[in-house]
Amino acid sequence: MAKELLSLDNGTTCSSWNYSGIRLATGSTDGSLSVFDFRDPASSSNNLRFTFKTKVHEGNIAKIVWVPPEYGDVVGCVSTDGSVSLLEEIVEDSQPLQWKIRKTFGSNESKVLDVQFGISFTRLKMVAAYSDGHVRVFELLDPLELTNWQLQAEFQNVVDSVSSFGKALCLSASISLNPQKCGSEEFSFLLSFNSDTPELNSSKVWEFDQAHRRWLPVAELALPEDKGDRVYAVAWAPNIGRLYEVIAVATQKGLAIWHLGLNPNHNGRLPVDKIALLSGHEGMVWQMEWDMSGMTLATTGDDGMVRLWQSNLNGVWHQQAAFEPTS
Amino acid sequence: MAVTAISETSQIHRFPQYKYIHAVRWLPVLSAFNRFAVLASSDSDSDVSSIEIHSFKPNPISFDLHSSWASPSPISSLKASQFLQKSVIAASTSSGSLHFLFADSSDGMLESEVSVPENELHSVGKSCIDLIDGGVECVTVGDDGKVNLVTVGDSNLNYRRLFDSDGLVSYTAVKWASPVEFATGGYGFGLQWWDQRKPGDPVSQFKGNWDTKLTSGIVHSIDIHPSRKHTCLAGGSLGTVLAWDLRWQQQPIILSGAGAGNGAGNTAVQSISESEVWEIQYDRCIKSNTSSTRILPAMICSEDGILGVIEQGEEPIELLAEPCAINSFDIDRHNPLDVICSLEWESVAILTRQ
Amino acid sequence: MSPNSTGNGALVPFSGDTNDSLSVYTLHHGLSRPISRVAISWSRGNSLRVSLFAEPSGSPDAGDGAKVVEVKLGGGDPEIDDADWRRIAYGSVAPFALLQSRRSSISALSKSPSSYHSDWWEHVLQYSKDITSLFTEPKLALNPIIEDPNEIVQNKEEPTCLKAAWELMEIFYVDKQSQAWQPERLVDWLADYDCLFTSTQETIHGKLVDFQNDLVNIQVIEDDPRYWEVMSSALSVGWLDIVVKMLRLHGSYKLDQLSYRELENGLVEAVAVLISKMPRLRHKSAVGNLGDCFKSKPDFIKAWEKWRSQITKLDCSPFWIQCDNKQTREGLRNLLQVLLGNTESLCTASCHWIELYVSHFLYIRPFTTGIENMYTLAQKCIQLKPPTGTHRLTGLMIGILAENTEVVLAEISREFGPWMVAHAVELLTAGSEQAEILLHDERYNLGGISMMELHRLAYAQVLSSHALTWQIAPIYLTSCMKQGMGLLENLLYRQSVQHNNLLLKNIEICRLYGLDHISSNIMKVAGVYHWKHGHKGAGVYWLQQSQDTNCLNRIAQQLFDSVGKSISDESFKQWEGVIELLGSESKPAGGLEFLHKYRDFKKSLQMVYSGKSADAARQAAGSLVLLMKNPSTPQRFWLTLLYDSLKLLNWKDSPLLSVSETHLLLNKLQELSLARQRPQFTEPSLPHQALSSIRLALATNLGRAILDE
Repeated sequence: MAKELLSLDNGTTCSSWNYSGIRLATGSTDGSLSVFDFRDPASSSNNLRFTFKTKVHEGNIAKIVWVPPEYGDVVGCVSTDGSVSLLEEIVEDSQPLQWKIRKTFGSNESKVLDVQFGISFTRLKMVAAYSDGHVRVFELLDPLELTNWQLQAEFQNVVDSVSSFGKALCLSASISLNPQKCGSEEFSFLLSFNSDTPELNSSKVWEFDQAHRRWLPVAELALPEDKGDRVYAVAWAPNIGRLYEVIAVATQKGLAIWHLGLNPNHNGRLPVDKIALLSGHEGMVWQMEWDMSGMTLATTGDDGMVRLWQSNLNGVWHQQAAFEPTS
Repeated sequence: MAVTAISETSQIHRFPQYKYIHAVRWLPVLSAFNRFAVLASSDSDSDVSSIEIHSFKPNPISFDLHSSWASPSPISSLKASQFLQKSVIAASTSSGSLHFLFADSSDGMLESEVSVPENELHSVGKSCIDLIDGGVECVTVGDDGKVNLVTVGDSNLNYRRLFDSDGLVSYTAVKWASPVEFATGGYGFGLQWWDQRKPGDPVSQFKGNWDTKLTSGIVHSIDIHPSRKHTCLAGGSLGTVLAWDLRWQQQPIILSGAGAGNGAGNTAVQSISESEVWEIQYDRCIKSNTSSTRILPAMICSEDGILGVIEQGEEPIELLAEPCAINSFDIDRHNPLDVICSLEWESVAILTRQ
Repeated sequence: MSPNSTGNGALVPFSGDTNDSLSVYTLHHGLSRPISRVAISWSRGNSLRVSLFAEPSGSPDAGDGAKVVEVKLGGGDPEIDDADWRRIAYGSVAPFALLQSRRSSISALSKSPSSYHSDWWEHVLQYSKDITSLFTEPKLALNPIIEDPNEIVQNKEEPTCLKAAWELMEIFYVDKQSQAWQPERLVDWLADYDCLFTSTQETIHGKLVDFQNDLVNIQVIEDDPRYWEVMSSALSVGWLDIVVKMLRLHGSYKLDQLSYRELENGLVEAVAVLISKMPRLRHKSAVGNLGDCFKSKPDFIKAWEKWRSQITKLDCSPFWIQCDNKQTREGLRNLLQVLLGNTESLCTASCHWIELYVSHFLYIRPFTTGIENMYTLAQKCIQLKPPTGTHRLTGLMIGILAENTEVVLAEISREFGPWMVAHAVELLTAGSEQAEILLHDERYNLGGISMMELHRLAYAQVLSSHALTWQIAPIYLTSCMKQGMGLLENLLYRQSVQHNNLLLKNIEICRLYGLDHISSNIMKVAGVYHWKHGHKGAGVYWLQQSQDTNCLNRIAQQLFDSVGKSISDESFKQWEGVIELLGSESKPAGGLEFLHKYRDFKKSLQMVYSGKSADAARQAAGSLVLLMKNPSTPQRFWLTLLYDSLKLLNWKDSPLLSVSETHLLLNKLQELSLARQRPQFTEPSLPHQALSSIRLALATNLGRAILDE
């Protein structure tokens, strides 16, 4: 049932597949990025081959995020010291094909915990969540030049924009973009924290208000009594035609499935509905991923298991299968 | 086990292979009794790519694996020819290597192999090759804009770069016209004519600005008839088949496709296909009695599953209409009534025309 | 609908039972150190990639640090290997597509999509037959069977549960024509597939095979009690030809014994004749099968009663007493009991409840019609012969007989996977209105889609997981009204653009289904990929195809840098190819349009330098003016253009530029000197006296032009 694709070196800490699943980027404790490719995507035969390795950071690479393919083969590497580097694969001036660092978003007082890339109105945007509970949205100015970025907005993950929490200490952050295609319209994203400041934690849906040129929280995915819960992971499901969005939110209380309405009510908020609270992973949830139909959710967590979740014909969510790694 | 169907014009045998077939060729052989076909295959279950020689027997019908050679990666271009007493198979792989296989012309057994390793000829995987008729000279072109000539010598393999466009122009098809001339094709229905006696740039370029209404596409295959070396026949995107006469450079004759019926000398014809024409070959079987000004009939195979013959000013003839793409085909030289083609759905079909 | 009735109502039916107990699978990774982290990523469809990272180790020879594995979920039937599954998947495309197009043309005619044409089932039957033809595995060559007198059971092609299940559904849901002789079709079905049940318990087929294997060791066949036992078993399920063939192996037929076993032989032959004359209510006899076939029920009843009376007469005949072979006598009379429908004899003769069930139709209730009766009878048979194990076909059989579409769906989904459900739904809906409502009803819980659509989506997901079958998925997705296109867009967006063949196939699919926005996006991705990977021509081509003027303008700026460097030398020739590409385009070229014009200008200029006529010079001067007028001509090229044209400006015979044209050029020169003040101005690499020589030439030309005019 399981087929081995690749063995990786000692010290590898993270991995990430590109949009088509034929390239794998891995990060290592020594701060290097390695890239592996399937040779022939048409027949998917042959195993992955190593194609490039380059040093990105001094420190450990904690996470790798691919940039949408409309901007080439580009990854963002988040290091444990809190900086983000963008690398792109490119041929320049008769040099051979190689991965080059294009931009590093440094860290002075706060560290970058998570980044995601999305396209809105044919512009590439980078959403970065920082350890002080802030989120910054950057915009790429020139589609072929990955060095030119502009800060578009900066705000904290709170519903009430007046309050500010200066001394927040966030352990981790989780961003999930609304997975819409082609980027012809404005995108929205979901943001949550695992921090000591309860107001920052709960997952909020942020949308750009064109009229007032600012980001607004349009929904909060937490019941009143759960608002301060530390959030481990969030995942926005692809919507292939449902009349509502489906979002998974993992907290210490379990895995919650939310429905998010598509049309705002009179005060501009999107209606939310908590459909299920599921328990499975004991402790932290590391990662949640929806399949391309948005019908199956895969999760990993502290118990080391991979779990799959689905709704049955009656709309009841349940755990469908689990995978236990063994040597 | 074959599935046989008989239509009015031909007998069709289908042979499921249970692996993807990238390309097929008839193997030129000396013996009149043995028929061999070369298949470039990839088994997606075992991750093994290979070049296989199958023997074809019409009565009782059989298409059995005869001998095979494991390729380091999937084949992207396959050609076969005859040289002295040997059958020569040339194949380029998706990882960029080029291989020559030699088979005994009478029994079809693979005997030896020589190769050019990866990254020597092309920096990207996808390359296209053509093997000269009755020889071991092979021209290779690629997306990277490199044009190479590879020759098998007595004891070694020689290769040299004829041209490098530094990626400004990509080549997607190539065909020998004579021992010193060849034609290449690329994006935007671009065609180039090369003459080794005049090294460097192409000696002639097909001008693309003849019909601004034509939607652009990519040339996938070229054929040049030995008796009419001045005409370059190309097949590509959107069902386009065009003939470029070197003597009338600005006026291509569109035989099929979106632009058919427009332009000088083109009579309104129905397009045989609307999608990619993957391969084109002059149909040596149909004897055209028309004047030498007309383009000789040609066979094509396409993404939308058509194997057919087109002739200037005539309605196209459909030989096969499959629910899946036909990746490649080959007309048997010695017996041009027989056509072999590879179907996308992991099978091979052999047509015997009546 | 109660939750229980749906059984395993999973969206994507994974293999394994998922109702109550959670199925936990193991992922073997072979790492020596414990796992510290797991990362997951969905590939296309149901393919999940899992990266397993070991705890970091200080020692250099610690072995691999991580493994990446791929898990494909929701596979099909273990009985059929992957390659054969793909063959079935390919083969079922055409029948499926044909049926869908028939449905849409019928519903277009009748304007009411739910009520099908009265003869709709005929289309479904054709579809069903087309699908069935795929189950005969062409891998196995069928050798011509050499007639072996001792061969009782013929080794036919290996039947599969998949085929058996499909045919069972065809019998009950589709084939309205043979509804009147449904029990007889069940008899035939069992004859074909009885061997499949051997895997879980003893069957008549198994007994026959065992007996045949022992046949060579048996001296006097009629003395062996198994001979009679096996015959009564075969007879009970109606395998008349086998029984008759076996009867003729009886020792009394041997020439050397015929004389003194005349009576015994007569009895054997009488039974054989009766068996071969058994009336059957069916359309036509299966190939090689014995029995008299009757199409109409009254004729059949008449014949049946006559035949029964003949058996009873034989049973009461005095000849039995005269027959001194006890084994023969008892064996034959037992066969007669089977023929007479003696419940006890039938029960002893059969092994599996389905065999007993079939024997009931043959000998006890030959006039049974109506599925309700069939269901109660099945329950009775299960009571009489409780199954020793569960077989994948029995659940389906009970579901069909109980007329429970949900159970049938759950059974075929669990046992045969998404292919089966997606295709069998057509059979189910042809069979009953209730099933049609159940399957076509759109449900909020499923996100507003019907179960039919859900199963097609699930199958499309399976197809999408494999590199060779993903391109079939669009056929199924486009048959889904609500969410098919959404999933198709996701699938197409996730295809790699690196290889032209795949890219072009992708674009072709977009073209077929009118997904222009997707194809334009795919072409943009391809364009950027090629551009950044050094295939500049291909990059420009794809960006033009996608009409991405934004990127093209940026590329134009980059290209001008390169062109600027090589403007006056021969290396400009290398740009010919790209420019040629641009020229053939009706699509927007963005700022690249300039390059094309510039090339034309260079051409005419070359002709001037190579000593061609004044006409060429005049033409070149015209191009120069056009270029300088055109707003798409970048400012940084102005000086270079003018410097290149010095010969034109200093043309000896007559001034080539008019007064107004010269003024235009002078103005441009003026604009340029203003632009030079700005910081971002880039100085072209020209000799330092270039500007002054241009000024001088322009001034001279102006003077001469004024004199001329």
